Order: sequence, then C-alpha cells, then structure tokens
Amino acid sequence: MSDTPQSEPRRSDDRSGADDATAAAAAGSTDAAAAAVSSKTGGIAGPPGGPGGVDGDEPAVARTVGESDEQLQDAWTDYEFDGDAKVSVSDLDTYYGEERALESVSLDIPAESVTALIGPSGCGKSTFLRCLNRMNDRIRGARVEGRVALDDRDVYGDGVNLVELRRQVGMVFQEPNPFPKSIRDNISYGPRKHGDLETGLLARLLGRDDRDAERDLVERALRRAALWDEVSDRLGDNALGLSGGQQQRLCIARCLAVDPDVILMDEPASALDPVATAKIEDLIEELAEEYTVVVVTHNMQQAARISDQTAVFLTGGRLAEYDATDAIFQNPQSQRVEDYVAGKFG
Amino acid sequence: MGTATKTTLATGESVVGAVTSRTVLGVTAATVVLAVACLMQWVAPGGAVVGIPVATLLGGGLAVAGCGIAVLGAGSRLGYIETTPSRATSLAAGCVVGMLWAVSGGVATTVAVGGGDAWLPVAVVGGVAGALATVLPREDAGATLPAAAVIVGWGGAIAASGGGGGWTWAPAWSSAVFPGTEIVPVVAVGGALLAAWSGASAHAGFGAEGRQAGAYALVGAVVVGTLSVLVLLVGFVVLKGITPVLTGASLTGGTLGLPFVDAAVPWPTLPFVTNQTGGLYVTIPGVFPALVGTLWLVFGAVVAAVPLGIGAAVFLTEYAERGRFTQLVEVATNGLWSTPSIVFGLFGLAFLVPRLSGGNSILVGQLVLGCMLLPLVLLTCREALLAVPDAHRDASAALGVTKWQTIRSVVVPAAMPGTITGVILGVGRIAGETAPLLLVFGGAPYPSNTPDVLGSFSLMAQPPFVTNDALLAPASALPYQLYTTITAGVFPKDEFTTAAFGWGTALVLLAVVIGLYAVGIASRRYFRRKLHHE
Repeated sequence: MSDTPQSEPRRSDDRSGADDATAAAAAGSTDAAAAAVSSKTGGIAGPPGGPGGVDGDEPAVARTVGESDEQLQDAWTDYEFDGDAKVSVSDLDTYYGEERALESVSLDIPAESVTALIGPSGCGKSTFLRCLNRMNDRIRGARVEGRVALDDRDVYGDGVNLVELRRQVGMVFQEPNPFPKSIRDNISYGPRKHGDLETGLLARLLGRDDRDAERDLVERALRRAALWDEVSDRLGDNALGLSGGQQQRLCIARCLAVDPDVILMDEPASALDPVATAKIEDLIEELAEEYTVVVVTHNMQQAARISDQTAVFLTGGRLAEYDATDAIFQNPQSQRVEDYVAGKFG
Repeated sequence: MGTATKTTLATGESVVGAVTSRTVLGVTAATVVLAVACLMQWVAPGGAVVGIPVATLLGGGLAVAGCGIAVLGAGSRLGYIETTPSRATSLAAGCVVGMLWAVSGGVATTVAVGGGDAWLPVAVVGGVAGALATVLPREDAGATLPAAAVIVGWGGAIAASGGGGGWTWAPAWSSAVFPGTEIVPVVAVGGALLAAWSGASAHAGFGAEGRQAGAYALVGAVVVGTLSVLVLLVGFVVLKGITPVLTGASLTGGTLGLPFVDAAVPWPTLPFVTNQTGGLYVTIPGVFPALVGTLWLVFGAVVAAVPLGIGAAVFLTEYAERGRFTQLVEVATNGLWSTPSIVFGLFGLAFLVPRLSGGNSILVGQLVLGCMLLPLVLLTCREALLAVPDAHRDASAALGVTKWQTIRSVVVPAAMPGTITGVILGVGRIAGETAPLLLVFGGAPYPSNTPDVLGSFSLMAQPPFVTNDALLAPASALPYQLYTTITAGVFPKDEFTTAAFGWGTALVLLAVVIGLYAVGIASRRYFRRKLHHE
C-alpha cells in the first residue's frame, strides 16, 4: 500500500456539500462510492459484495450532520516511520451483530511511541482499541474479521492464549476502575493471579512468601505511574478512597505491574479534572519511552499535545487519515479530517 | 409565594393563630396517648384520670381540637389570620372527609331512629355534602371546617357515651361483638388523626407547606404506630418470659473451674438457659437441649445452603446466557421461596427420612431448613452479583486474569455484603420455623440430654466411613419445644406452669434470633469495611 501515489487533489464540489445531508447528496455519494469500488478493489471503500458493503441503495458511509461527503483515499492512511511496527492491523472489520463498527481499517503502530486515535462519537475508535487486546471477545455478538498482529504474531490466530496476550497488551479504561481492595492488592493483583507472586497463608507456611518481591513491585509500579509519593504511607488503604486522578494513575500502575509491551488507553482523562488530566498526560509521554501507548481521546488538543502520530476515524468506522500528529493537525489531506480537527463537526 | 412575604401562623405575626394551632396539636397528641392507654387497658375507659372521667377527657380533647381547627379555618378565611392557602383542598381529602361524614350521618341516624333504612339516604346526602364542603371552598376553609365538624361531633358522642361501658355493637354481618369500651378509643384515635392532619396543615399556613405538614403528620403517625407495634410485641414477650428465664439465676451463684490451676471463681448462673429440660435431678428445668438443637439446625442449614446458593448464583450470573433457562430458574427459585414450609417438611419426611436416618433426625432437619434457605440465598446473591459493576470484570480481564479467578477474587467478594443480607433474612426465618420440624426433626419434647454432635463422630473401616449417631437422632429445638409445650398443655415439673415455661422458651428463642441477626450484621459490616473505605 505504501507505493500508492500521494493524494489526489481534493474535489471542490465536496466542499460545497459540506453542510448538505440531504438524500440527494447521499445518493450522489453512493454512485461515487460504487465507482471507487470498481477502480480500487480492496480499497477503503470496502470489498465489493462484502457484508455491509455498498449495495447501491444505501449511503456508503453514515455521516454526522455537517460532515462532507468526499471519498476517502488509501494514500491518506499511509504513514511511513522508521523501525518495526509493534502492532500491525490490516483490513480489520468489526461487527456488533449486524451493525458494522469498523470497516477495512489498516494501520501500523510504531513501537515506543504514543499513537492517538481521534474522531467523533461512535466512529469506532474505542472498538478499534478493544480489538487490539481482544476485549471485544467479551461483548456478545461482536465479530472481528481481518488481521491484527502483535510483533508479527496474529492476535486472532488459532491457539492464541488470551491471558498471555492481555499481559502483553494492557488496558486503561475511561472511568477509573480500581478494585475495591487495598492499593497494594490492586497493584499486585495481576502478578498474583498469574502466579508470579505467591502471597498468603499457604505460601507463608511453605516458606515461599514473596512479600519482599511484592513490596518492590508495588513501589516500582507506583513510582512509574507517579503515584508513589502520594500514597506510599497508606498502601493498605482501600483504593476507592483515592481521588479520581489518583485512581486513574493507580489503574495505570496496576497495568504496568504485569509488565506489558503495549498500553491501550480508552479516553483515560475524560472523567478527570484539568489538573489530574495534566498529570496523566505527562505520564503518558513518559511511558512512551518504554512502552507502546495507544490513546483514544475525544480531546483534540490532548492528542496534539501528547501523541507522535494520530489516526482519525470518521463516522461509519472508517479510518480517514493516519499520519504524524503535526501533519494531521497542520496539514490534513482529507477535507473531512480538516473540518473535524477545526471543530466544524463531531 | 415568595419567601420574603411568606407568613405562616408560626411566624408570630398572628399570635392567636400560632397559639391556637399549637394548642390543637398538643391536645390531639394528648388525646391519642390517652386513647391508646385505654386500648391497652392501662386505663379503664369507664374510669377516671385525675378525677375527670376518661370519656369526658377523650371527647373533650377531640371537641377542643375540632373547635380550634374551626377557629383557625374561619379566622384564615375571614382574613384575621394570615395564611397562604391554595384555591382548593385535594380531591383525596375531600373523599376521606366525605366518607367520614357519610359514616357519621348513617350511625347517628341509626342510633336516633333505632334501625330501619333511614340511614342510607342520610349517609349518601351527608357524604356528598361533606365532600363538596371540603373540595369547593378555598383551602383554608375546606381543609378545616368539614373536618372540624366531624371531630367535634365524634368528641361530643364520646363524651356523651360515658366511656362506652354499658353497650356493645353486634353487627349483623359478623358473629363478633365489639364492646363499647374498645370502640370509643378507636374512634378517638381516628378523630385525633384527622385533627392532626388538619391542625398540622393549618399550623404551616395551608398551601404547599400546609399539605406537606399534613402529610408529615400522617406519615409520622404511621411510623410511630409501626414502631410501637414492634416495641409492644417484644416488650410483651420480655415481660411474660423474664420471670421464668430468671428463675434461680444469680450473678455470682455459680462457680467456674479454671483450667490447669485448682481454683474456681464465682460465675453467673442462668439455670433456665443452661439446664436440661427433663431428667430426675433437674430442679429448675431449662431449655439448653432445645437451644443447642436450634443452633445446630441453623448451622447445618447455612452450611448446606450457602455454598449451593452462591454457586448457583455465580453460574446464573456469570456463565449462563441470559435467556429462557435463567428465567425459568428465577421463576422456580421465587416459587421455592414462597412454598409453604410444611410442604418442605413433607418432602423431608417422605424423601429424606427413609434414605438418611429412618426416623426424625437433626440431619434431615438441617437439610430441610437448608432447602428453605437456598432460594433466598440464591436470589440475594444473584442480585448482589448483578450489582457488581462490569468495570471490575473488564479491568480484571484486561490484566489477563481468567474468568474464574476474577469471579473468585473480585466479583464474589464484592457481592458478599448483599449475600450476607440474604443469609441474615433467611436465618431469621428458619431459626423460628416450626412446621417442618414437627415432621422430620422433633423427638422427646422435654429431653434430658443435649445432642452431642461434635463428640459423636466415629470412624470405621467400611463405607460410609464416618457416622454420627447424634446427627441421626431426633432432638428438640426452641420453636418445636414451644409448640409442644403449649399444645401438650401439661408441663411435667412443678417449678413452672405450662404457660410460664412457654413464655420463657419464647423469650430465649427471640434472643437467639436477635443474636443471629447481630452476628450476621457484624459480618456484613466487616465485609463492607473491606470493600469501601469508611
């Protein structure tokens, strides 16, 4: 795909239809989409005859009001970077029941960097994130087609150990969700359940108590998540007693404690106040030195501040543009992305 | 109604109104107290308090309250007292007052004419008039004057009745005969409730505030009534049972041998609780065997039901697809919980007894009570599991923790307080359960030995390897013993009468159930503490 010639010039008629969501415009886009399918097989417009694809009697892409109806181009999602891709996604389709949440998404995520996923509500960015560690398996009726590779190993292949996958690909959720346990138990929960730490009465009786190792691990994870100074004197307290921002950093520390390679964050700061948000953002930038961080965010300034590259999803579950963050925010190739980044819709 | 111009009777701007409304409420409260005292037979309705006949006091109280309400309403309507009335009283109040007018009119006609059908038209006309008089005028008149008429009328009738000593009411549709001494206090309480509603409404100056005050008055009366039923019940059992329970008791009468040193210290004794019931050498018969039997029953039922209930709830909530099957299980569980306990007993008698013990036994009693406890544990545990936020499950799964480990270490602990609430409720029910025990459990009503369950385990080389004769033998439990004592009617020992022994047993049973509640609530608090920062 990388050899596709760079962007065609934008069609001016698309700009004029920016505020037009009438049936006429939808019908026009259908024709254009059909043409795109015939000219670019396997392109972003979707495989011909594929489920939920273009049948000619429905719009190719559902749109938010105010979104223009230009055609997406493969070239806009090509992003060249040095080094290997940590996560490589190709032709990913996701369905919730009959509803298509992601349509032919392909992108490569470089290692040890921050990748931001932005886009309007319902555009599938969270769905995409949850595909990377197979959290969508937990949703009934969810179906994933395509290939997601972590270090060139197919995540959806046969015989993939979900436990092992999720140890390598950790996740932080939108709402801070610490367990109703002590701070220490929250951090050591993952390693204890994986059998890396043995604590408790039996272990103590057998002389295999890893309390020292647990203490080290808890301290390391909390320091890494910039929480140690605030809670070091009350590790035995219930985690629900922490403030929202502290809880979220605790969740990050909990995720770090199992030593993942990739950390997925689903709008990690959207439930927090500005001060806590700033702390989380600093933390994300620091984490990128060691980990591959993928962040879904609603906040475009946040994406611009913290990310190295940005993927813009648009309504209908399609990846519109993927490039270095500066390029996305200063010189986007897609008109819709430009409109979205400028706050015209979404 | 701006707060700046808001004036109520209580603000002091209209001293007459404030004083009158407070007087009304005070007199009403005093009337209720006196009427309840009559109902409880602490005061004879025909007697006198501080030299004044009770009937005069009750009737006078109502009359004073009614007149006060009328003064408030009229004063407000005519502009002497500043209030903020709405345009009309609510329709519900109109219906109630209309009904009271109808009843009052009908009864008055019957008494005056002495039978016949004349009461019917009077009641209809009176009812309609009362309802219209309440609903049509402005609120300050409508909510007071018709109600005041009823209250004053009832007060006058009570004062004239002389306490209702000499007459009874034998309605044609019932074989019961109601003595006037009971009807008078009931009517007084009813009139006082009406006065409380109307008076509180007037006190707050009618309008929205007034309606709220009226509602508070009625709701408060309901709460006080509920609490007094509870206090009355417990107090009655305690009063009746405390004498037999304390028979022979002393704080320092007993001795406690200290282990390892050859010494003894004074120790409290409570023979009614610690003695055997029967036996040759027992001077003060006690309920110890039944007490131990009850505790074993509860313990066994909890051990049998709680793991099963939690396991089933975990399966239904975490593993089973929500659909027909889970709905079916839910309906079946609800049905099981409302199944009469005697049916459980019959099942135990027909199915468990022949297979397990061949006769009444503790084990079968435990299992039957466990079956009764099971549905409640299942239902409450399921609710508690459903209330555990999915965020916990997601967080655990995202850490690469398996489903079963998540359930064991996060989900079930988070559901513990709710589950324990269910167990507490269930234990409260089964500890006092009698009917199934009659069929599958009970042995001699006055046992002379205590079931020694712990000491009766014995091992053997052939199957079933472990036996326990005590578990397979019948025993006595507190509710069972209470039942047999009261129905048998003959208590073999001279120390207590049958009734005294029964009341003593009842008091101990009450104490045991409350003690089990306390244990349950303490463990629930422990788990809550662990889950939430407090």
